[in-house]
Amino acid sequence: MGNLFSLALGAILGHRQRSLLSMLGIAIGIAAVVLLTSMGEGTRRFISAEFSQFGTHIIAINPGKAETFGIPGMMGGTTQKLTIDDALALRRVQGVERIVPLVFGQGRVEGGGRARSIMIFGVTSDMPDLWKFDLGVGLFIPEGDWKRESQVCVLGARVSRELFVDGNPLGNFVRVADRRLRVIGVMAARGNIFGQDIDDVAYVPTATAMQLFNREELGEIDIEYSESVITARVVADIKAILTERHGGREDYTLNTQQEMLSVMGSVMDVVTMAVGAIGGISLLVGAVGILTMMWISVGERTGEIGLMKALGATSSKILKVFMAEAIVLGLLGGVAGVLLGLSCVVVIRAIVPDLPLGTPPEFVVAAFLISVVTGVLAGILPARRAANLDPIEALRADG
Amino acid sequence: MRSADKWRFALNALLHNRLRTGLCLLGISIGVTAVVLLTGLGEGARRYVGAQFQSLGTNLVFIFPGHADTEGAMPGLGGAPNDLSLQDARALQREVRQLKTVVPISLGSETVANRERSKQVYVLGTTPQFIEARGLRLSSGVNLPELDWERGQPVIVLGGELARELFPGGEVAVGNTVRVGDRRVRVIGVMEDRGTQVGLDTGLMGLIPVASAMSMYNESGLFRILVEIGAQTDTDRTVARMREVLMERHGEEDFTCKTQESVAGSLSTIMRVLTLALAGIASVSLAVAGIGIMNVMLVSVSERRSEVGLLRALGAGHAQVRGIFLAEAALISAAGGVIGLAIAIVASLVLRSFYPAFDATPPWWSVLAALGVSTGVGLLFGVMPANKASRLDPVVALRS
Repeated sequence: MGNLFSLALGAILGHRQRSLLSMLGIAIGIAAVVLLTSMGEGTRRFISAEFSQFGTHIIAINPGKAETFGIPGMMGGTTQKLTIDDALALRRVQGVERIVPLVFGQGRVEGGGRARSIMIFGVTSDMPDLWKFDLGVGLFIPEGDWKRESQVCVLGARVSRELFVDGNPLGNFVRVADRRLRVIGVMAARGNIFGQDIDDVAYVPTATAMQLFNREELGEIDIEYSESVITARVVADIKAILTERHGGREDYTLNTQQEMLSVMGSVMDVVTMAVGAIGGISLLVGAVGILTMMWISVGERTGEIGLMKALGATSSKILKVFMAEAIVLGLLGGVAGVLLGLSCVVVIRAIVPDLPLGTPPEFVVAAFLISVVTGVLAGILPARRAANLDPIEALRADG
Repeated sequence: MRSADKWRFALNALLHNRLRTGLCLLGISIGVTAVVLLTGLGEGARRYVGAQFQSLGTNLVFIFPGHADTEGAMPGLGGAPNDLSLQDARALQREVRQLKTVVPISLGSETVANRERSKQVYVLGTTPQFIEARGLRLSSGVNLPELDWERGQPVIVLGGELARELFPGGEVAVGNTVRVGDRRVRVIGVMEDRGTQVGLDTGLMGLIPVASAMSMYNESGLFRILVEIGAQTDTDRTVARMREVLMERHGEEDFTCKTQESVAGSLSTIMRVLTLALAGIASVSLAVAGIGIMNVMLVSVSERRSEVGLLRALGAGHAQVRGIFLAEAALISAAGGVIGLAIAIVASLVLRSFYPAFDATPPWWSVLAALGVSTGVGLLFGVMPANKASRLDPVVALRS
């Protein structure tokens, strides 16, 4: 076996230039696949990190039943409303740790002599813990009766900066629609989540937001549950309570964070596979290159093959010699390709640090395997041609 | 040596080694097929999206409640303290003369049921003009009645698919009563299926008078106002005028105007960038094919040393020898390009016969680019072997 590969290596080194070019073809293909799948995997990790920074034991409930497309209640109205009483009723579900009844909308916030149109979230005291957001200064919306309005608000870092350019917003008033709200806190800066500037929002108590937007229903209920209970159990309990409250109808939609993550993950996997496959076209073309060169080299070495056969080498031995050559070509190309792909990843990371890239080790292993398989596939035809040569004819041809 | 002779010489050399020529052709044509087919698919998707916007009718402007200074924020999500009201829509109609139609829309997702059959769909509260403005048509029955906007009526126009689901087996929907949420309404019309229009499945929706929807959803504001501008008018000026009217009524810009063109335009740009990215990835395979051609040409140069030596001895110059080998490289890559192109076009035609709505015909620029690039690849990777051949010493070459 070792003998076989040293023979193959000898043949490859004997034609350095053409071997190098054949390998280059495979290497480019492998590098393309490694780089593209790294980008896909990086994006997948990025998305799942964006999601799981809220914690993984979260359930979101939206009004309206999704049957076709999208999240109902996000767009337009419905008669199937979720109320604060619904949210309160869910407190008795075992394992539930935090509940935030949510109302959101757009509004113009005036303060410090300036104004800014932003997203306004109606939330309750548990929001920072549930969403894992940190308070910068001051206080968050205090605990209390969810149905009672209070004229306070907490600003996102950016709104605070934009409105109160050179002053402390705490204790000042902002005006939203016809209301004056006292600023009691400012959130810590957080940056973008899914392209949305999470610092450019304001938080008010849910009841206040409902008045502001003239709504009687919630846009969403977010629930965090203990890690010690089973998700399916919590989901079933929530559904039982809500369906009973809604007259036996399941007119709401429930999404667990885990489901969302796995759906996102599988979508990204498909995208990664598709892009990787397009990159893999290069690999196919590289394989055709190896096939061509091997075919030529069998033709050139007809005399040598004839001699080997005359000296007693069996057809299967000859087949193995040429297959070994093709595999070594593929493998060396694969090594070069992985190195090329990984160095591209390193370079891109250095130039564009924001671009998410991730190369799991199993991708690298897979790339090696693919290059070997490519070598095998490309080698079959030429190796069979060599193995089937008639020794007498072969020797004569070289004469 | 005449030019025609040079090409014939190159052609003969290629035909002599059919198998390796065939494999080189295969490599380059795989690359060209991939590039052309992918650009065709990408462009097809772009045109498809464009056509979807066209099918909405032309010269539409959407007005949403709410206005965000944040980049990337989506207007129209959730609530807004100042609604867009029916009076706003009315004012636009009254004060901006260039408007062809003003359609108020109240949107909700609601269960529509015929006895035990039910379906959760979007139910739009709107006016009879909606159907025309969105380029829809009725297949049976009548449109929503021309009512005072503030007055409701218990009637509904169903989407085609929704009608078939609620009334299966050819049962006639028009004239029957269905439940929308808790209310009973009479079906007065059924629409033709027009497929999905920009995220809204027109087959699975219902239309009711706008006042009925607003009272049912208990909303004082509209989801959006759809405005159709006359074909001959200046869109920008008209939008500016509409903004003025609404600003005057609201005292601030707490709404967002989006023209159909701007939405369609940005989508189209995104799709084109994606197409180019995919084509770029696929064209890596063209480079790999070029390397393959170079490799084979290098081999054939060393195989044909004596032939080259003879040519040189007979008086062929460096340039002529180089020309012959470049011609060989150009021929093989151009032929590969043509074959690849043919495969791609056939594939797109096959695709089209399966999905007539999706036109994946490669755009002319991708056809030209594919042929140009493939020939260019051949010439580029042919330079090294051709130089190698032209530098052969005739005496040494002949002796070998």
